[in-house]
Amino acid sequence: MSYDVILSRDSFLLSVELRIFWAIALIYGASLLLHLVHIASRGALAGRAAYLLLWAAAVPHAGLILLRTFEAGRAPFQTLYESLSWFACSAVLTWLFVSRKWKGFFLPGALVSALALGASLYALLSRSPAIEPLSPPLQSWWFESHVILAFFSYAVFIVSASIEISWLAFRKRSDLYGLPEEQLKGFHDTAHRLILFGFPLLTFGIFSGAAWANEAWGRYWSWDPKETWSLITWTVFAVYLHSKTVPALKGTPASVFNILGFICMLMTFLGVNWLAKLLGIPSLHIYSV
Amino acid sequence: MKTRTDIKNIEWLSSLRKALAWSYRKLSSIETSVWLLSLLAISFMVGTIFPQGGDFDEYVKEGGRFVLLVEAFDLLAFFSSPLFLAIALLFVLNLVICTCERYKALFAKRRFPESFAPTKSFLVTQDAIRAHDETRRILNDSLGFRLVDKDSAWIVMEKGLPYRWLTWAYHAGLVVCLIGVLFTFLFAFEDTITLKTGSPQTVIPTTTGRVQYIWQNGSPQTDYHLLLDSFTTEYEESHELDYPDDRKARLAMGLGWKMPEHKMSVDPLFATDWKAKLKIIGGSSTLAEKEIEINEPLKYGGYTFYLMGFEQRLKLRVNDSFMPLDAKADDDVIIPGSMIALSLGTLRTGKAKRLDGTIDELTPYVTVKDSASKDEPAILKLNDSIIVDGNIVTLIGFTEQAILSYRYDPGVTILWIGGIIALVALFLRLYGSYYLLAYKVDDADAIVTVNFNITSKGLLASPEHIENRIEELLTAGDLKPLALPEQT
Ligand code: HEM
Repeated sequence: MSYDVILSRDSFLLSVELRIFWAIALIYGASLLLHLVHIASRGALAGRAAYLLLWAAAVPHAGLILLRTFEAGRAPFQTLYESLSWFACSAVLTWLFVSRKWKGFFLPGALVSALALGASLYALLSRSPAIEPLSPPLQSWWFESHVILAFFSYAVFIVSASIEISWLAFRKRSDLYGLPEEQLKGFHDTAHRLILFGFPLLTFGIFSGAAWANEAWGRYWSWDPKETWSLITWTVFAVYLHSKTVPALKGTPASVFNILGFICMLMTFLGVNWLAKLLGIPSLHIYSV
Repeated sequence: MKTRTDIKNIEWLSSLRKALAWSYRKLSSIETSVWLLSLLAISFMVGTIFPQGGDFDEYVKEGGRFVLLVEAFDLLAFFSSPLFLAIALLFVLNLVICTCERYKALFAKRRFPESFAPTKSFLVTQDAIRAHDETRRILNDSLGFRLVDKDSAWIVMEKGLPYRWLTWAYHAGLVVCLIGVLFTFLFAFEDTITLKTGSPQTVIPTTTGRVQYIWQNGSPQTDYHLLLDSFTTEYEESHELDYPDDRKARLAMGLGWKMPEHKMSVDPLFATDWKAKLKIIGGSSTLAEKEIEINEPLKYGGYTFYLMGFEQRLKLRVNDSFMPLDAKADDDVIIPGSMIALSLGTLRTGKAKRLDGTIDELTPYVTVKDSASKDEPAILKLNDSIIVDGNIVTLIGFTEQAILSYRYDPGVTILWIGGIIALVALFLRLYGSYYLLAYKVDDADAIVTVNFNITSKGLLASPEHIENRIEELLTAGDLKPLALPEQT
């Protein structure tokens, strides 16, 4: 195949990808709007439409990520553009999966769609979508297992925080939004179960990251800002899990810890790059910047 | 007769004992761990806000806003400061004491409440003794429950993974991890060594861990040599995306008004691999050898050798000069007799995978450009020349050196063992399933009911499923159960 053919083929594929991704971002935006209408009007129709739009966006989004995986011949997490796309899609898919129990309750979808929209727009407007070859440190089994599981835990934490925030804000009026009072406890317990599910994944993510750093740089821990923030996130979720076993803390304080854990997770994923730049702290995790 | 001093001593001892007992009680409580873990999280945050390893004078010079705090709490080296170490020590004590306490509890007789609130009850048609036997048979034989306690009115049984052991095991695993970290903190050290192909070198570390200096003066020289046999690099050709910086233009691409474009740069090669064939030589024999690369270190004699990078030196001949000019790749070089500083790229040598999938062996080349100009660089191949400011510059040779870092860290193995224990136990405990079931047969006025209380641990546990199975199995027998409405 001549170089001209390869160059125009790759440009064509990328132009298709960008158009579909923009359309997906638009649908996430429409879903967010409808969620807000649902919150304001309590109308079930707006909630259902918002929910269906999430399906309509997440399925092609997963297809798009799959396409890129084949195109690049590797896991789609190398650049921040790719990670942001994965972050949005996995959070929405996790919510769609978890929410099947509460068919008529849509509130947590508001935060999920807002994050999906934000991540997609950030990827599209601020990051380059170029497909790059894998640099030597990333050519490791540890890279894939480390990132896949860490990202999986992120998706789970987002949905948990969305449930927690909906519960804190609307627990007294949940029946007005389609969740009968007798289902409220089960709904709230899901936030805890999600953290119980995500915590070992995050633990494995940190542990495999340390094993990988030990193989690649000869030091399993360097207090790199990204490492440190992942440890902070892990510690805050450990605080949450323990406070769930202490009668005096298992109510609102535990909910606050869960939301703090979620904020720390956002810091680990995105804020740390910004903080490192702001404070001029060098990071070994430059690939993800 | 006790003197006043004796009495004072006794009082002092008794308050010390009380204080110690109080501290122990506090340090064995899970509430304390909530606070200590929170404090640790805050400490870690402090460590990311203040640049660790930064220089205090520099911080002051750059107008740092928290000079007093930084000085008082050693915030620029926070992770080895007394404040952080004190918090970490308290946390470790808390974890160790909790783990020991819970270890004792694993062997103590388990206590259960006198009475349980039923989560499911069935009205049955047979008498109490039949109902009891049948229920027990079903739980034992068909559902695999084990008897735990039969001393009170409620019979207690359990099924599934031993969750109390698992909870203990992952906390104990974390203790082992911390021991590993302590070993690293006390004994680990690292250094670097640069190896030229064909020249053996002895490893002479210039440092030791934090405590070895007490009994040894510097780390001993190894009794073997390191030899770099060969060094190779591999490349992949990649295209460049001409992507606009402007957000409006990016949106235009999304709307299909503009096409993204790929192009080839002058030097489109991307280094995807570099490998060093390393030998450990003792006397006249090879003790170990391995082709190391990033992610593939060589372990020998307690040390691990990592390939960190490489350095290339180029030999350039300027005009007909006999003395070649020695230049470092990826650096600037002044050409004698000219005012121009040449900016050299990395030397490309080895195999390259082209965009169309073919692989070829490269003729070594380096990119060169006038460092002051914005023009595209030119390519200078081995044994080829370019003209710089009227001078003929020829690339006549090159050498490559591997930069290795090596590390001695006896904490790593301990850390991995602890980590694997903690991870396996954590996954099993949180994902696996465990049920605690208590049942009681009531017989009041010839109305026989079987009451169950089922609680569970683990994400895969489903008490509803167990309740349904019990109902199915009771129905398959001759108890004819009638489920009573749920009591809340
Ligand atoms: C980094 C340190 C720690 C981590 C990651 C950790 C993790 C966990 C997790 C994931 C749970 C399970 C929560 C659940 O079952 O819902 C738990 C429970 C528990 N932890 Fe920790 N823990 C840590 C330190 C400690 C310390 C210092 C103590 C000392 C008091 C402690 C005592 C307990 C107790 C008593 C439980 C309840 C166990 C049960 O319900 O059976 N943990 N811990």
